[in-house]
Amino acid sequence: ENISNFSLNITDCTQVVVPEEVFFTVAAAGILENLLILIAVVRNKNLHLPMYFFICSLAISDMLGSLYKTLENIFIILCKMGYLTRHGDFEKKLDDAMDSMFILSLLGSIFSLLAIAADRYITIFYALRYHNIMTLRRALVILAIIWAFCAGSSIAIALFSYEAATVIPFTILFPLMMFFILCLYVHMFLLARSHAKKIASLPSSTVHHRTNMKGAITLTIFLGVFLCCWAPFVLHILLARFCPHNPYCACYMSIFHVNGTLIMCNAIINPIIFAFRSPELWSTFKKMFYCPR
Amino acid sequence: MSALRLISNRTSQQALSNSDYTWDYEYYEYGPVSFEGLKAHKYSIVIGFWVGLAVFVIFMFFVLTLLTKTGAPHQDNAELSEKRFHMNTFVAEFGRPLESERVFSHQMAEESQSLFHFCINEMDHMNKEKESQKGPSLESNTHFQEVPKSCGMFEEDLHCLTKFNIPNFVNTEQNSSLGEDDLLIPEPPIIL
Repeated sequence: ENISNFSLNITDCTQVVVPEEVFFTVAAAGILENLLILIAVVRNKNLHLPMYFFICSLAISDMLGSLYKTLENIFIILCKMGYLTRHGDFEKKLDDAMDSMFILSLLGSIFSLLAIAADRYITIFYALRYHNIMTLRRALVILAIIWAFCAGSSIAIALFSYEAATVIPFTILFPLMMFFILCLYVHMFLLARSHAKKIASLPSSTVHHRTNMKGAITLTIFLGVFLCCWAPFVLHILLARFCPHNPYCACYMSIFHVNGTLIMCNAIINPIIFAFRSPELWSTFKKMFYCPR
Repeated sequence: MSALRLISNRTSQQALSNSDYTWDYEYYEYGPVSFEGLKAHKYSIVIGFWVGLAVFVIFMFFVLTLLTKTGAPHQDNAELSEKRFHMNTFVAEFGRPLESERVFSHQMAEESQSLFHFCINEMDHMNKEKESQKGPSLESNTHFQEVPKSCGMFEEDLHCLTKFNIPNFVNTEQNSSLGEDDLLIPEPPIIL
């Protein structure tokens, strides 16, 4: 049979290519930023708190995601230059290992965000008992469990990615977690709002409306960023599994590299909206950079 | 991911080549995909997805802002937790040994209410003076940062409340987006 490998119609959806410079810049920025946070938390004893450990966990998973993309690009470049063969067994194993790193990063991000949201929830609603509920040791145990689970699932998913069964739980987990995190934050937000009303009732103040708008904006940014950065990729996996030959699906899948870049952008944005809002962390950065020993 | 390409090779009837595995940028050479006779625009999934996502985020934002205008259903247990929350939001974080916090936490339960009421009354007077001086976005901060000297006797207790590490989310809700620097004003605040 004559099988034409390329449909050269004008209506073809060709792969949208992201320039390599953009790729590497975004990835490098993500890695550096998150590394900075890790170093700051490790060096400053004041930051050895459960909240910052969860933020570190998020930083690690973001770093893994950016690292994965960088390594993958490097390997593909090496392939093109001929240093690595395309059809080797070693390359296949390497590829599987890197796929599992990426899935580890995604799962780690989701669970870290969940842990951060739960930690804040406990801080607000069980404020006086917070230090009994969330001790340092418990936080570390929780993190160990999360990462062990993520590592196991990522290896399992990478090994069994041929089965349909792995894709479905993977894509169901994502909206479930998002919904749960949204519920936690909305509940906190409701408390903050009713609280702001109480403040407003004490002196005569017309400011509360504005501060609550800011609360709504903050919450929308938290969740909107995560959704916009990860959902395109999750949809891509779904479509690749279930309708690879459909032209509409194929057109969506042609923007795969843009989706990958979005994930790396998430690694850059997450520290800004979680870590850099802490004054203690900022003062640690200043000490690190402006007062070298 | 190239693992997905393996899926396509196994399911596809028309194999492209003998080797099942190649590692390439062009992940999705799925074989001829016919683009003939498309009823809708070829990027309709892309456009539909992003429009749907934007609509969802905007919807979420409007729901949240609507919540700011309607009544507060959350009144149960609000008294004590709100007051603790209130104290906590406007105090910067300090690292302290965890042991001393537990010592104080029991005392705080009883004292926080009276402490709070006292400071609120004091704050009332201060606030009317300071209101005109600071920008509106700082107003809710100045309520607590300029607690007058008469609250100083509770300084020790307030110090303990600083150890309830405040999530950034809570801080930034009440503040402007520049946020945390507002809490660390140059003059030595009583609480800090």
